[in-house]
Amino acid sequence: MQTMSHHYIPNFREIREEMLAEIGVGSVDDLFSDIPPGVRLKGPLNLPPKMSEQEVRKHVGGLLSKNVPVNRMPTFLGGGIWPHHIPAHVRAIVSRAEFLTSYTPYQAEVSQGVLQALFEYQSMICELVGLDVANASMYDWPTALGEAALMCARLTGRRRFLVPDLMSRDRLSVLRNYSSGAGMEIVEVGHDAGTGQLDLESLSRELNDRTAGVYIENPAYLGFLETRAQEIGEMAHRAGAMFVVGVDPISLGLLKPPGEYGADIVVGEGQPLGNPMSFGGPTLGIFACRGDERVIRSMPGRISGMTKTVDGKTRGFVMALQTREQHIRRERATSNICSNETLCAIAAAVYLASLGPEGLREVAEICASNARYLMKRLGGISGVRVPIFNSPHFNEFTLRLEGGGISVEVLNSELLKAGIHGGKPLKREFPGLGEASLLCTTEIHAKEDLDGLVEAVSRVTEGG
Amino acid sequence: MGGRIQRAVPRELYYTRDHEWARVEGELVRVGVTDYAQSKLGDVVYVEFSGVGQAVKQIGERKEREMEVAVLESIKAVSAVYAPVSGTIAEVNRELSERPELINTSPYEKGWICLIRPTNLAAELNNLMNADQYEDYLKGLG
Repeated sequence: MQTMSHHYIPNFREIREEMLAEIGVGSVDDLFSDIPPGVRLKGPLNLPPKMSEQEVRKHVGGLLSKNVPVNRMPTFLGGGIWPHHIPAHVRAIVSRAEFLTSYTPYQAEVSQGVLQALFEYQSMICELVGLDVANASMYDWPTALGEAALMCARLTGRRRFLVPDLMSRDRLSVLRNYSSGAGMEIVEVGHDAGTGQLDLESLSRELNDRTAGVYIENPAYLGFLETRAQEIGEMAHRAGAMFVVGVDPISLGLLKPPGEYGADIVVGEGQPLGNPMSFGGPTLGIFACRGDERVIRSMPGRISGMTKTVDGKTRGFVMALQTREQHIRRERATSNICSNETLCAIAAAVYLASLGPEGLREVAEICASNARYLMKRLGGISGVRVPIFNSPHFNEFTLRLEGGGISVEVLNSELLKAGIHGGKPLKREFPGLGEASLLCTTEIHAKEDLDGLVEAVSRVTEGG
Repeated sequence: MGGRIQRAVPRELYYTRDHEWARVEGELVRVGVTDYAQSKLGDVVYVEFSGVGQAVKQIGERKEREMEVAVLESIKAVSAVYAPVSGTIAEVNRELSERPELINTSPYEKGWICLIRPTNLAAELNNLMNADQYEDYLKGLG
């Protein structure tokens, strides 16, 4: 009888010996004789005994049960990844093998489904942000922002890029990293102490004939809206610079599309559109721009385009303008990213298509009205300032503990004991804001979740 | 079976090993790519010019960015066009922005790429091939 040496390595002992004899080696150990004895493993690894499939399932299931999902504990943590409801059909559609396992659609003749889905994604993003062209996605908001800065530099021949000093520190860090190779100078512009919004006098001081672009986030990282966005765009344009706006796409169910207030490039995080939080990724970098040819030629990333067959009878989809991309243009490419987040983009397309403009508006309204309700109620607690900035907000806002004695960390750990996942502590990013926290609300919050948070915060801060 | 297609090599031009041509026109040098080059590129779909007024260096053994006068995009490739002589770019063929296919249909006339105001013409012409030499060079490429 031949015996297999291992379930998954089906070499019978006889075959193994035959192979060793063939190459003139006495044993498998002899194959490792070049490795000094001092660094070779003596004896078996210090590991627990092997488990059967059934045992592994039980073991891993036990480990996973320590995770508390959002539907078992309300979370108010946003700040870049947001908890939203994902309709069941979104997952059902993106789980189809044609989407789930498909490779980059270089071969248009065998990739019409993926190319069409990406084209639909791009079309909906264009409609949402109010611009003419969107690519098939970047990796995430920060990398989309990095690409936008580089694109501004390419188009203007300038290297100075202005950003708000209250922007997300993570995004700023990626932006600096991304643009340093191109020798760009990232300059933080101050904010109005009362509203938190970009200070236009500071902006005017920093704008000059070396400025490639001006960037704002709307809604801002800290939740407030830039109510003078149009003016900011006009100032940028007067200086010959481009205007870049970063968005949470859900907010565009309610807010004016940036393309309508002068944005040349819109970037953003597409995760809220039908993609799970998954401990922070994969995410979906939105990237869209104006449609004149010079601008499109300078765009980063993959684009799916619609065309007609030679006989003019059939519609077809292809990857368009690939000569901008790295696999053809090499070191002259517009971007070093030659991939994208296709599956996340398709999820976003399915999400947007099934909600429609009315549905998206409804989601955005619930997000905003939940935030307004929560701001009002939390603001009534003594020793708590909500929001820190006197501006309109979308679905996120800041809270500051002013009573003294209690830190955001203590508040959050007390909330956790009460079964509530609190906001994002801001001390590390913005020490100047004091004991501050960033909270978010979305359509997943029921009124009792909001009231539960208010009750817990007042209990902790008022010592009640 | 047909033999190799004979590629046009006008007598009055100078040539580079990279398949650019140069025509001396008074104080200026007109630049384009050869018939052979356009046949290898395939359909040219876009031309990206270096700026008018920009200084360029004559193409050398090692190609550098400062030698580029344009970048040609064909359906599936992107190639740089290098300066046959050093100087500054005096004019570019704007018509190619609308009709890049002129490079394929009329490489030596309507498909010209730019005019260079040379800075060291007499000496640098010695580094280029004449029509006979270029024809031999093409034969060598097989």
